[in-house]
Amino acid sequence: MKLYYNNMFFRLIIVALLFCSCASDLDFNLTKDLKLEPVFVANLTYFDIKANTFIDNGREHDVVFDVQDFDVFRDSFFRDNLKKVQFDFEINNTISRGYIVSLVFLDANNQVTYSTEIDVPAYSNTPNIVKHTDVFENQTLDSLKKSVKLEISITMSSGAPLTKDSPGSLKLRSGATVYFEIK
Amino acid sequence: MRKIYLVLLLAVSVSGMAQNKQVLYNFASVPQSLLVNPGTDVSYKYYFGVPLLSGISANIGSSSFSAYDLFANNGVDFNTKLRNAVNKATRNDKVSVNEQIELFSGGFKVGGRESKAYISFGVYQEADFFMYVPKDLALLALDGNQNYIGKSFDLSELSVKAEVLSVFHIGYHKKVSDKLVLGGRAKLYSSGLNATSTKNSGYIYTGNSSTTMYNQIISSNLELKSSGIAEYLEDDYNGSIASDIAHKTFFGGNYGLGFDVGVTYYPKKNIQITASIIDVGFIRHTKEVENLTYKGYYQYQGVNPNFTNPDKPKNVFDEFEAAIPRDTLYGKYTTWRPAKFNSSIQYSFGEARSDESCNCKPHGETEYLNGVGLQLFAMTTPRTPLAALTAFYRRSLLDNLQVKATYTIDSYSSKNIGFGLSTTLGKFNLYAMVDNILEYKDITKANSATFQFGLNFIFKENSEYN
Repeated sequence: MKLYYNNMFFRLIIVALLFCSCASDLDFNLTKDLKLEPVFVANLTYFDIKANTFIDNGREHDVVFDVQDFDVFRDSFFRDNLKKVQFDFEINNTISRGYIVSLVFLDANNQVTYSTEIDVPAYSNTPNIVKHTDVFENQTLDSLKKSVKLEISITMSSGAPLTKDSPGSLKLRSGATVYFEIK
Repeated sequence: MRKIYLVLLLAVSVSGMAQNKQVLYNFASVPQSLLVNPGTDVSYKYYFGVPLLSGISANIGSSSFSAYDLFANNGVDFNTKLRNAVNKATRNDKVSVNEQIELFSGGFKVGGRESKAYISFGVYQEADFFMYVPKDLALLALDGNQNYIGKSFDLSELSVKAEVLSVFHIGYHKKVSDKLVLGGRAKLYSSGLNATSTKNSGYIYTGNSSTTMYNQIISSNLELKSSGIAEYLEDDYNGSIASDIAHKTFFGGNYGLGFDVGVTYYPKKNIQITASIIDVGFIRHTKEVENLTYKGYYQYQGVNPNFTNPDKPKNVFDEFEAAIPRDTLYGKYTTWRPAKFNSSIQYSFGEARSDESCNCKPHGETEYLNGVGLQLFAMTTPRTPLAALTAFYRRSLLDNLQVKATYTIDSYSSKNIGFGLSTTLGKFNLYAMVDNILEYKDITKANSATFQFGLNFIFKENSEYN
């Protein structure tokens, strides 16, 4: 009988040993420190207009204009985790006239949330690339987030008249760099 | 160096994983070994498992990173750890969790005293989670695309399966002759929750462009099939997920059928060959089915003005949603259980001396104290089938104490040592098995850990003569 209990004791010890191991101190609360800071780049807006766009029925008109929906901020995840936004514009003018490119962001009540104007000099046979950067943080970013529309207008400065055969174009390409901070 | 890397990569990709119960396999003094081979040479007059405690097993595996890598309390910033873990991973690395609890089980001998046919039955609940590490998507979430101009983020890396189910089973095995044991088991699966997203493809690409600032393309062929989940995702759901899953696991209405077959054969008295195929079966998902797809191609060029026709504003969100619509289908679907194959060959030696206190084997049978052999395990997965090779040594110690040690090569480890024991105190049987013992010096650094544990009452065939 004594042997029986010894055996049983021995067996229980082995079983207990099976479930014994050392473990480093783990801290699962570390997940609370999770902070993702991805940086995304994306196209913002693009156009390529020929010189003759400014000619209508043989007459020059100085302003072209369009409004597009700009509702990326509709997405609350996007809205809530934004830290900083940067817009980079690059304008290449090969028309012999100067322009003012104006970008106006509007909120749902058609109030301006942000506007910027880029002066583009007339083309005179030398490469003519204008770069422009806007950065949004804190208050300017909060204001930008209310945007739902983007209004783009191009105003031609005075100069030698264009005809429907005038060469060149006004190209704009732009990108947004979006800095997130996701906690 | 390149070769070494290739070999390592192969070793990682052709690999064993969760659900390889290499210690339990063919451990004939434990009735639960019938669940890995219904043709195991197990004999009893009758047995029953202690309800809820007869078979508990769990396996957690992560082939690239360990709990220590992520959660070590060592002052390193969690985000740095996460980044290191993602950088270390490859697309073939996987994370898996498997858990099984027997609710009840039992078995009895059928036929007369000379009969050697046995019935075994039971219900167990199982939860499986299997995911390949979606490295590209993790990088995209961590870093964004700014520093990856020109790279395609591969959406096919997204491969995940999750299932909670209960299994009702009844098995039969018979010692047809002194040399041959045959067994089979029929299974009724009841799925409480299923999510399968394994056939994805597509990419997210940002490159340079000569017209717009970037050339941005999303080509998406994503599909998530699910059953039993939709209810939890609804906004007005305010039940208890755990108890609802438990309820649906038995009465959800998504049922399936499957079978196991197995054999044990003794070409010589001291040579034993076994093989089994487990979980050949399917589940038909018909209730609460929801299949989400995102299929399409979208090239994003920006919010671009149209000066010649200004009355037609475009909307980027609408454009995107039209190009890659989120479709919800309610079609029934079928999932296949991960089928598992096991086989072993064992050479036994060292005849047991006759012992009055244990007259466990019928007259005329020789019991060997030792056995050595090899086992092979294979299992189907969403990508390539996995395999693991095990060498083992088993021995009977004292009276009624069986131990088994295993050495397994699989993808999580090339030096996985396992150990198990089964002991019988009177009619009371207790077994416990663990693997990856070498990692136990610090379990948090282990890439996988498995344990099995259970309590049974076993009444031997000849117990009435004791």
